[in-house]
Amino acid sequence: MVIYRDEYRLYNFGPGHPFSPVRLEMLTSLLQALGVWKEPLAPREATREEVLSVHSERLVRRVEAASRGERVPDLEHYGLGTGDTPVFPGMDRAARILVGGTLEGARRILAGEKRVLQLGGGLHHAQYDRSSGFCVYNDLSVAIRHLTRAGLRVAYLDIDVHHGDGVQWIHYEEEEVLTLSLHESGRYLFPGTGHVHEIGRGEGVGRKLNLPLEPFTEDESYLEAFEALVPWALGAFRPDVLVVQAGADAHFLDPLADLLLTTRAYARIFPLILDYAEAYAGGRVLFTLGGGYSLDATVRVWALLYHVFHGLPLPERLPEGWLREWEGRLGQPLTPTLHDPHAPYPEIPRRQEIEKRNRLTLERLMELLRSHLVH
Amino acid sequence: MLIQDVMRFPVVTVEPGVTLEEAYRLLLERGIRHLPVMEEGRLVGIITDRDIRLATSHLNPRGPCPGCTRVAEVMTQEVVTAHPLDPVEEAARVMRERKIGSLPVLEDGALVGIVTGIDLLDALLKLTGVTEPSGRLEVRLPDRVGELARLTGFLAGRGINIHSLLSYPEDKEVVRAVVRVNTLETHLLAEGLRQEGFEVLWPPKKPW
Repeated sequence: MVIYRDEYRLYNFGPGHPFSPVRLEMLTSLLQALGVWKEPLAPREATREEVLSVHSERLVRRVEAASRGERVPDLEHYGLGTGDTPVFPGMDRAARILVGGTLEGARRILAGEKRVLQLGGGLHHAQYDRSSGFCVYNDLSVAIRHLTRAGLRVAYLDIDVHHGDGVQWIHYEEEEVLTLSLHESGRYLFPGTGHVHEIGRGEGVGRKLNLPLEPFTEDESYLEAFEALVPWALGAFRPDVLVVQAGADAHFLDPLADLLLTTRAYARIFPLILDYAEAYAGGRVLFTLGGGYSLDATVRVWALLYHVFHGLPLPERLPEGWLREWEGRLGQPLTPTLHDPHAPYPEIPRRQEIEKRNRLTLERLMELLRSHLVH
Repeated sequence: MLIQDVMRFPVVTVEPGVTLEEAYRLLLERGIRHLPVMEEGRLVGIITDRDIRLATSHLNPRGPCPGCTRVAEVMTQEVVTAHPLDPVEEAARVMRERKIGSLPVLEDGALVGIVTGIDLLDALLKLTGVTEPSGRLEVRLPDRVGELARLTGFLAGRGINIHSLLSYPEDKEVVRAVVRVNTLETHLLAEGLRQEGFEVLWPPKKPW
């Protein structure tokens, strides 16, 4: 089941902002042009109370006031009105619409649906008391809380290139939520967190996993770590449902980060996630989108996700008419095939060192978690 | 950042007549490593877990006697101290130069706090801004008037909040500035900075 409504595009920080609603417009028009678009389920927007299941009243009040155009003097303390997360009219409702979509996904899972793809959301940086990094409200955590309140154990998997800090901190002390984030190391990259030693607190100890990868990590090294870590953690935790943040900004074309995945890695990752859901979570999986700031790459990665999700064969070339229209609108050439060309970037001289360091990080993480996760 | 911002208080202390066994138990219970020694409200020495372990080691020619040796026999006298208004870097320098792990903090002769290496590490974490969601820029600047202003002015013009700014000399002519900024868009900032003639070391320019 796919969840989407056009009003997702109201979540718009303005022209020139990387978190652009154009991505959704391009994606849905591409899926239509490919002839695979099926009418999605349109969710209702989340209520204020639903947002308050993971956020503070004082944050929500400020978002509401700022959305109405009121001047809020301490807005920056709440992570709003910044360069990354500026205020726009109607921001509260726009954010609640995205939350509503992911929450609807959680409801559908509880109602017996196995696979849900929410074509939006993934706002993993928003924290209890603070908006952050393009993320006003945390749709993922609202959905996760809905699932845990219904008694389910949730495994959250985050493949966005940035650490899923908001989701991690909100559930940091919860035993019934496993968070697992693979990301570019926070040594340099926003938000600066996601070290291997962040493993949870209190009841949550050993339930929060972070694999910080070296800048310029490529497909092979990423997949090696992914295939070693994810089934190991899921097998030990035995969740009832998998919630996946499928950010596409680990792609090598992404302008904000430095991992070097190609579409071929994603063509492996997405089916693996479905397999893992079958093996460890009764087949239940809820996907959301997330980061992804190269229009060219992001749209192809998510189109790939849509195909894998539906078990459709992958197209090779993208439709000519669609390409012509969007190349015209964007004023830039687009990759004409779903997959990246072979060897799309120059050889990375430090490859071996990077692979070695990633292996070491993985070993450290598994060593640190072994006694907690496997009894 | 001053000592009074990072020091711990109240301070756990001992009297000179206490045995090493009692002092050691106190260190274990409180999870600390340094005990200022007080006599009639006056600081007369300091004793650490290491002093006690060395004094009571089997390898010590005087032999282990934790129950009969007094703190006064082992403690370090002429204690190096700090004032609450000393800057933290001053405390770090003294501790590094003297190779000591803590400084009792005195004000008008009274013990008002203690600062240890751990507190200075906390201070360093805070100074580097890593406790806030942020990205990191590293820029090489000529060591001359106005260069940092040019850098911060550029960031201000882009509406970027700076969580922290550290700089240190690379050599006689060059300073490295490490800036933690409240943004995901460090790559775009780096591009902008390069166009303005700055030498940005991180994030790197991708050759494609």
